[in-house]
Amino acid sequence: MKKRVLSLLLTTSMVAAMLAGCGSTQAAPAADAPAQTETKTEEAAPAADAPATEDNAEAGVDISEPVTLKWYLEGSNVTDDSAVLEEANAYLKEKLNVTLEPIWGTWGDFDDGATLSIQSSEDVDIYFTCSWTKNEYNAFSKKGYFLRLDDPENNLIEKYASDLWNLLPDVLTQGATITGADGYGVYAVPGYKDIATQNCWDVNVPLLEKYGYTIDDIKNADYFSLGDILETVKKGEGDSFYPLLIEGAVLERMVDNTIIVTGDTTGNVLSYIIDPKDPSKEGAYGNTIISKYESEEFKKFVEQSREYFLKGYIDPAMGNAEQANDTRSAKQLSGEYLIGTQSYSLGYELQATQERGFEVAMVPVTPAEIDTTSAQGAMMAISTASKHPDRAMMFLNLLNTDPYLMTLLNYGKEGVHYELEDGLVKFTDKRSDYQPWTNGMGNVTILTPTVDQGADFWDGFKSYYGSAVSIPIIGFSFDSTAVEAQAGALSNVCAQYSLALEAGTIDPETALPEFIQKLKDNGIDEFVAEANSQLQAFLDSQK
Amino acid sequence: MKRKLDNSVSLPAAVIINLLLAAFCLVCIIPFIFVIIISFTSEESIRTVGYSFIPAEWSLEAYRYVLELGDQLWRSYANSFLVTILGTFLSVLTVMMYAYALFRKDFRYRGFFTFFCFFTMLFGGGLAPTYMVCKNLLGLSNNYAALIVPGLLNPFHVIVMRTFFQTSVPDSLIEAAAIDGSGEYNTLFRIIVPIAKPGIATVSLLTALGYWNEWFIAMLYIRDAKYIPLQYLLMKMQNQVDFLVKNSAMIGAEAANIMSSLPKDSLRMALVVLIVLPIACAYPFFQRYIISGLTIGSVKG
Repeated sequence: MKKRVLSLLLTTSMVAAMLAGCGSTQAAPAADAPAQTETKTEEAAPAADAPATEDNAEAGVDISEPVTLKWYLEGSNVTDDSAVLEEANAYLKEKLNVTLEPIWGTWGDFDDGATLSIQSSEDVDIYFTCSWTKNEYNAFSKKGYFLRLDDPENNLIEKYASDLWNLLPDVLTQGATITGADGYGVYAVPGYKDIATQNCWDVNVPLLEKYGYTIDDIKNADYFSLGDILETVKKGEGDSFYPLLIEGAVLERMVDNTIIVTGDTTGNVLSYIIDPKDPSKEGAYGNTIISKYESEEFKKFVEQSREYFLKGYIDPAMGNAEQANDTRSAKQLSGEYLIGTQSYSLGYELQATQERGFEVAMVPVTPAEIDTTSAQGAMMAISTASKHPDRAMMFLNLLNTDPYLMTLLNYGKEGVHYELEDGLVKFTDKRSDYQPWTNGMGNVTILTPTVDQGADFWDGFKSYYGSAVSIPIIGFSFDSTAVEAQAGALSNVCAQYSLALEAGTIDPETALPEFIQKLKDNGIDEFVAEANSQLQAFLDSQK
Repeated sequence: MKRKLDNSVSLPAAVIINLLLAAFCLVCIIPFIFVIIISFTSEESIRTVGYSFIPAEWSLEAYRYVLELGDQLWRSYANSFLVTILGTFLSVLTVMMYAYALFRKDFRYRGFFTFFCFFTMLFGGGLAPTYMVCKNLLGLSNNYAALIVPGLLNPFHVIVMRTFFQTSVPDSLIEAAAIDGSGEYNTLFRIIVPIAKPGIATVSLLTALGYWNEWFIAMLYIRDAKYIPLQYLLMKMQNQVDFLVKNSAMIGAEAANIMSSLPKDSLRMALVVLIVLPIACAYPFFQRYIISGLTIGSVKG
């Protein structure tokens, strides 16, 4: 008997262990349960506080209790924050009675660290979140990990952050409004950064002019008519020179006017096609999501890439995910290219020119547009586990509206990490000890401009990004939990084919039908159908 | 002499066995040699030719860069050494004492504690609960304890150790010690430990390996760069590169900027070499005990 019980125990445990081993993505639903209770207790808490805070709303807010705010950031490169924190905390103490405790997540550890911290309801108050990290804004809001900021019963934005809210462009507030655990509302403060997506040719100007062309020749050509220029330069520079320095996925977007569908984790099988003349209008396929790789546009594009590749215009390394990035950055620096692809942000040509030591020009190919992914590109959410949501909101408001605080936390301390030169920031060597991700903090437009940017940089920035238009389906994000199995399989198939096809290193004649067949075998049709039904539901709810 | 002949195998069989084992050794060691070669390959040559056993151009660039990485590298090195040495000592001590208690037949709660230990080997609480207990309840975050305590008692090691006691320590020895007036601690540390040296060495090696290679625990509990061990430093670099490659389009032009400042292939391989070397040096040291452990075991049957 004893043995039988033991064997039963053993079997169950093994099954349990096997199930537990089935990847970390499946672990998320299990973690839902504690989250829900968390939301409930959190709802109860502000309700109990409500009378107190309401009283204070008129007579200024009660901030007599000192509070420590923990703040989890992404993409930091910070080894010594003591000087900055000393100054920032003295300032914050006086303004909000707050002590700041940043957790400097890096590109390498933020995903796992922050997700775990959120799921175990650790006492972190503010989390970075966005549409492309593991603590994805839409999904985690739905699971109730982020506090609704415009809750009708406790509208934190209205109470503490109207200044912040008013300075944000409409597209940002619109992009941040989603359906979460507490209904349709705002669950994080969007950062005012390079919010538009625009794809450009990155042109090596001296080399172009050496062969008697001007920048206008590039402006007037498109991908399919670049052949002559590429041929001339290839001839002149010799066999080992590859004039086209491409990033496969970016090039594809430039040529086909496709954009990423937020929430698609498969390597972009899903695409929405925009109208290249006016992205605010519906594109060639209307308001539907298409399976990009099966489209005629994609076929035409990869055939052209193949032709360019065979003629020796594209470096074979560009079709190999392992080598593409290293090769590209090395060749950009050494100037061994004529035309590259770049996902643009304002001022990049100046930065590139300076880094590479020759004149670099950016020639826009697609219009600047704002989609859900770019509008949710960097945000700050208040955790439902936070004990001080009010103070956290006040801090976010101050951070995004106070140039002194933003510059201090982002660029470091004056005299240590940077010096002022005619009122402009010039970084010192110490900057390498304190380098948070500039765009990942919030409103960058209140930063003191750097010497390289020039005094009126942010005016240009605001007019450039202010004039960018949003696409018709802004705010939509795809939730792939219903088709999780397909998503995994499809992303493997994509990894195998897409880059090589885009760079022309494999023959589309045989590889493209093979690719499409594999997509079909792995359930692309259900996947796209699910995405479209979600999009339809979203559009209906918008009416 | 005759005895030896009985044990030996025929010549063809010996040749085949040796060839097979040699092939197996090669399979194990070639990837590592490859890593060493890549770490000495110039970045230019990796880019143009790819990885190769005979690189087009040799270079010390990666190692020069590693040495210039400066503080963080040495700090992580020191952390890894500290955690490995201290962790191994504490862990082996705990494991040995636990296993000794389980081994003693006159320990009343022996059954319960054996089950208690065995049970955790089969069932884990899952990541999030473990994380909460360690971090919130035990305060294991941003300190050396966080790197050591979670790996302190490995049930598998306890069972190995207990089995070793059972096969190599006769009960009569303990009785004899007791009759001679030796207290429990004295018996354990003065009589049992010297006999159990081979077993302890085996467990020490396993534990040391475990601590040296551990990066997951560091990822969970360490946020302060001060405490980062070497493995996690490497892991972070790798993750960073992977993440940026995957998301470069979302991060925007800044990504290109960050990418260019990140370590390249050869550098990562150089780090792997630096990580493997010290622990590879620990093998010969423990090997002596492990081999003698095998022989002791067989003699006593």
